[in-house]
Amino acid sequence: MRQKRYTIVFDTQKCLNCKACTVACKFENEVPVGDDTYRIWVTEQPLQGRFPHLHQAFQPSQCQHCENAPCEHVCPTKATYRTPEGVVLVDYKKCILCKACMAACPYDARFVSEHHGAVEKCTLCAHRLEEGREPACVETCPTRVREFGDLNDPDSEVYRLLISRSHYRLKSEKNTRPRLYYLI
Amino acid sequence: MAIRIEKIRSLIRINRDVPALPFIIAGCLLLALGLVGVVRVFVQGHEAVYGVTRQVPWGLLIATYAYFVIISTGLAFIGGLGHAFGVASFAKMSRRIVMLAFVVLLAGFTQIGMELGHPFRLMYLLLLSPHFSAPIVWMGLFYTVELVILGLELIVIFYPSGVNHRLAAILGFLGLLVGVIATSNLGFVFGSLSARPFYHGIYFPVFLVISGIAGGAALLMVVYNIVYKLKIPETYKGAMKSLERLMGLSVGVMILLLVWKVLSSLYSQPGDAYAAVMTLIAGPLAPEFWIGEVLMALILPLGMLVANRGRSMAVSGIAGLVFLVGMFFTRFNFIVAGQLPPMRAGNEGAGVETVNGLMQYAPSTGEWMIFALGLGVFFFLYFMAERFLEMEIHSKSKHLILTTESTERHGKGRQMIPSSSCSSCSSWLK
Repeated sequence: MRQKRYTIVFDTQKCLNCKACTVACKFENEVPVGDDTYRIWVTEQPLQGRFPHLHQAFQPSQCQHCENAPCEHVCPTKATYRTPEGVVLVDYKKCILCKACMAACPYDARFVSEHHGAVEKCTLCAHRLEEGREPACVETCPTRVREFGDLNDPDSEVYRLLISRSHYRLKSEKNTRPRLYYLI
Repeated sequence: MAIRIEKIRSLIRINRDVPALPFIIAGCLLLALGLVGVVRVFVQGHEAVYGVTRQVPWGLLIATYAYFVIISTGLAFIGGLGHAFGVASFAKMSRRIVMLAFVVLLAGFTQIGMELGHPFRLMYLLLLSPHFSAPIVWMGLFYTVELVILGLELIVIFYPSGVNHRLAAILGFLGLLVGVIATSNLGFVFGSLSARPFYHGIYFPVFLVISGIAGGAALLMVVYNIVYKLKIPETYKGAMKSLERLMGLSVGVMILLLVWKVLSSLYSQPGDAYAAVMTLIAGPLAPEFWIGEVLMALILPLGMLVANRGRSMAVSGIAGLVFLVGMFFTRFNFIVAGQLPPMRAGNEGAGVETVNGLMQYAPSTGEWMIFALGLGVFFFLYFMAERFLEMEIHSKSKHLILTTESTERHGKGRQMIPSSSCSSCSSWLK
């Protein structure tokens, strides 16, 4: 059986900044309320154009589930690990809260969770994947900004999008090889 | 058995002529303050007590940890020069060197112990689930080995029947070697982070080793001035001059490293390394950089040492004290500055709050309390040793015999006679 390779493809032009994804993530994963405690976010890009012809873009983002994950390399206890499908996860029982992963992550995707007593991050809703469901942020988005799927499946939507449209990955110069792609 | 107890008793005494009591009392006060901080952390939690954030996860405690443990390995380096490489002037100071290195390392461990969310989990997971590509594993491993080596050195150096200098030489060499590896590994914990361009590279591993040697020399000069109330006996003049030279040379190398680090970072504009170095030169960390680091760690101590040229050991001690204060800022500045450029722009919705495009960090009162805990451990344990232990080798040794005139505790009354059966003793006493 072919190994799955989970991917999210973002079409940010569809983003309304409704923040339904951030709310869904909080509820689905019981992420505590707080300024520093969030797994995903929607950044408002600076306004472009001249009044009245203005344009504003939004960039939803989260852990990039890097193939060459710096957070995994620096974790002293193997608390951070990658599943065969490429999802970067944290074994909370192994985390010593040294915060090296937080310092190493070029995407600022990790934070200390007092609830888990560990550093936590986006899991691509791994518990839902086991049930064949999409991550909560993907499912809840009203305009389908995020497309989730198996990049090793030529029939998947993510595969089709990436071979048909230009795209980029965040901070590609860091050679982290993110699993999350942004369409241009 | 009775003879053994008697020998152990010979190590314990009350040294009334050493002004240790004020430092022991200061240590107790700092420990009390630190324990309040510890209770606060246990009751309220790390997140509530410490000022570190998601974007600046490493703060005062990591800086203080790096400060203490690197002074300790600097001391082990100097001790190793004495024991393993026959630098006689340092060998005479071996008890104080090893005791200082051990106690300072313990003080450092208090900081990392309180910084980590699960320090006990670390101890068994380093054995059960070590990740060898992580620099922290090697740092933890080598500092643990260093603590064991220093503990063994303490036993050997304070062994009631006399010091076995061959064993001390082996342990001294291992202490030097493992200390340098541990220190540079600590630097590599930062140097390996490609996400933080200001950290990335060989600067910090090298800088830590060099500044550790300077810090060890500085601490010894300060302690000897305290113990001998600014009147260090002639016996130690050679040692003090050697320490001065070692510290001066190290500070010179530190200046060289810092200048090129700053210039190379400036030329990386508009990268994060540039942003980080600008926080030091003209940003929120400018007072700490110019006054704490440049003036107190580099210019003042080096200027004092050069002007003094070994004439006054008291001046050397003051230079050492100024350097020790300044050296703390070298740690704090580097560690904090590297994290102030944010990983994501502080736009609306990003969850990143920046001021002038930079993250903000100021240590909380809770962090200062844990800092006080580390200082308290050092003051209390070390000056208890000064107060109640014989810190000078004077008993008959297998290899080296030191005779003491009973009427004069310090000074010229001491005479060291090399044992004819030991070749290493002669090199000790050159």
